[in-house]
Amino acid sequence: MTSFDVVDDALIARPSDDIDTANAAALEEELAASLQREPDHLILDLGDVRFIDSAGIGMLIRLGERLRQRRSRLVVVIPQSSPLVRIAEIVDLPAAVPVYPTVADAVAGSASQG
Amino acid sequence: MSQEVEVQGSASPGSRLERLQSVADSSLGYLSLEDMLGELLDRIRGALEADTAALLLLDEDRGVLVARAARGLEEEVRQGVQIPLARGFAGRIAAEGQPRIIDDLSTADVVNPILRQRGIRSMVGVPVHVEGRVIGVMHVGSLQRRDFVEEDVTLLQFAADRIALAIDNARLSEQRAVTEVMQRTLLPDALPVIPGLRFSAKYLPAGAGIRMGGDWYDVYPLADGRVTCVVGDVVGRGALAASVMAEIRAALRAYLHEGHEPAQAMELLNNLLVAMGRERCATVAMMQLDLETSEMLAVSAGHPPAVLVTPDGQAHLVEPRHGLLLGIKKDVRFYSHRFRFPVGSVLLLYTDGLIERRDESLDEGLERLAGAALDAARRDEDSFADRVYRALVGQAATDDDIALLAIEWLPLGPSLEMTLEAKPTVLAGLRRTLGRWLGGRGVDEDSTFDITLATSEAAGNSIEHAYGAREGRVSVNAEVDEAEIRVTVADHGRWRDPRPSGRGRGLMMMRGLVDSVEVDRGSGGTSVTLTKRRTGGR
Repeated sequence: MTSFDVVDDALIARPSDDIDTANAAALEEELAASLQREPDHLILDLGDVRFIDSAGIGMLIRLGERLRQRRSRLVVVIPQSSPLVRIAEIVDLPAAVPVYPTVADAVAGSASQG
Repeated sequence: MSQEVEVQGSASPGSRLERLQSVADSSLGYLSLEDMLGELLDRIRGALEADTAALLLLDEDRGVLVARAARGLEEEVRQGVQIPLARGFAGRIAAEGQPRIIDDLSTADVVNPILRQRGIRSMVGVPVHVEGRVIGVMHVGSLQRRDFVEEDVTLLQFAADRIALAIDNARLSEQRAVTEVMQRTLLPDALPVIPGLRFSAKYLPAGAGIRMGGDWYDVYPLADGRVTCVVGDVVGRGALAASVMAEIRAALRAYLHEGHEPAQAMELLNNLLVAMGRERCATVAMMQLDLETSEMLAVSAGHPPAVLVTPDGQAHLVEPRHGLLLGIKKDVRFYSHRFRFPVGSVLLLYTDGLIERRDESLDEGLERLAGAALDAARRDEDSFADRVYRALVGQAATDDDIALLAIEWLPLGPSLEMTLEAKPTVLAGLRRTLGRWLGGRGVDEDSTFDITLATSEAAGNSIEHAYGAREGRVSVNAEVDEAEIRVTVADHGRWRDPRPSGRGRGLMMMRGLVDSVEVDRGSGGTSVTLTKRRTGGR
């Protein structure tokens, strides 16, 4: 399940299930489609996600690229306490997609670069 | 009219025996049903020196007689003539279950226009019986006016009895085939494989498996790791009950899949049944197990209580606040009842055919059931469902269907062995089970997370690369000792070389999460062994 919120000109998506090879492709399509509405930044808040595997990481990188091509932007929120921090480090996720510890940081960060 | 005179005087003893023999001929039994019907109609027509012979069978659902086979009246079958019950010649024979003679058709009440068009003057007809029920009508007709006599009726009835037997046999084997197909389609052919849980089930249609009943069971694992078990009973028998059962089963799965809680799913299902106007009610027991909290959520719609055997060797009846049967009225509220389902427990769901005996009360039946469940929990041969079934039913023929489903939660031992279907949807369950097991072995949270994710990656690799779209199995074995945690993921395929941007990342993640990753590409398959030291991990 993914819930959506709009803050300023950013859309905040909050998935809650594990992201893995079983559902990564479906989530990618859901997120890509969600941006066809007005806001042009997608803030993906992974605060409720307890697990992401390499297929999920691959999806984030692909989605970031797709949004760039559409001149919008993907930023990812991973709270400091999240088990996902370690995975993001191992695969060097920030090199591909901007990662912020809080939604507020992400809103400020994406606005400053937007 | 010399023929008329001949016919009336035809009942000489010698010819009577011959006539009887022509109909009784045992070689008829070797013909197919179609050929046998035609041959028998020919013979009865010859034996009674009649011009026409016809067989109509009763369609019980629609209350009409339908022409099934005919001689001299073939158009009756071709046109699919239907005679309403209790009307006309054949209709009355079927309704009253008595033979009938018409001496002169021109003055009689006849529904079927073909009889008149064909110019039939006199007729005799008899009911076709199976076990006291009328299943059809057989009649012969004469173009000349004649008076059929008692002896003609007797001979015709004799032929009708033979036909009844042949048709009943053919119907039985047809119904058995249909029942078998329906059961295979409607009942889960394989119970899900969920590590730590053992399912066993039994389904027995009543009366030697001839009529499909409305009992069913189902196990439905949800994406979040909860497992829903359902047993239900649609009131009534036959194809309609079975089809309502199939609808209920599909609808329940859909509601659960959409994320509805059990009580809510039950409410939606009830409204659906009422709205569809199926005029069939059903009792349903639904139990949802949450492996993470060791809790079971129970909802009942008029279903008998489930039996819970706890690890301390006690049997309890699980009686959630009883909701009304499904399909009776709209907007009924259902309530769920939460109870502990600790490791080592067994839950038994069943339909009333398992315990109902004519000579005892429901309480006595439940007492016997609880005893059988306790006894089954102490034994180990066959499956739990088999043991309970044997104790309560055994060889006795039952007049009601029986469905039973047992869910056992087995303790996880010092090593964990799992065999999983090679499809991506098993990964979430694998992670949860492994996480639960590692936690139970005293492994700290961070190490549990790392090894679980690395295992998920390795298994994902097996599923994606080794098998592709083909079916297969992946086995996962885990061991923990004081020094380290070892997990081996093995398959029977061959890994393709990792793509640089895709699964290469998986291998990178595995290496980052555990201390060693050994990949063994053998001829029989690929195995990956992940090892993580227990102290000073990071």
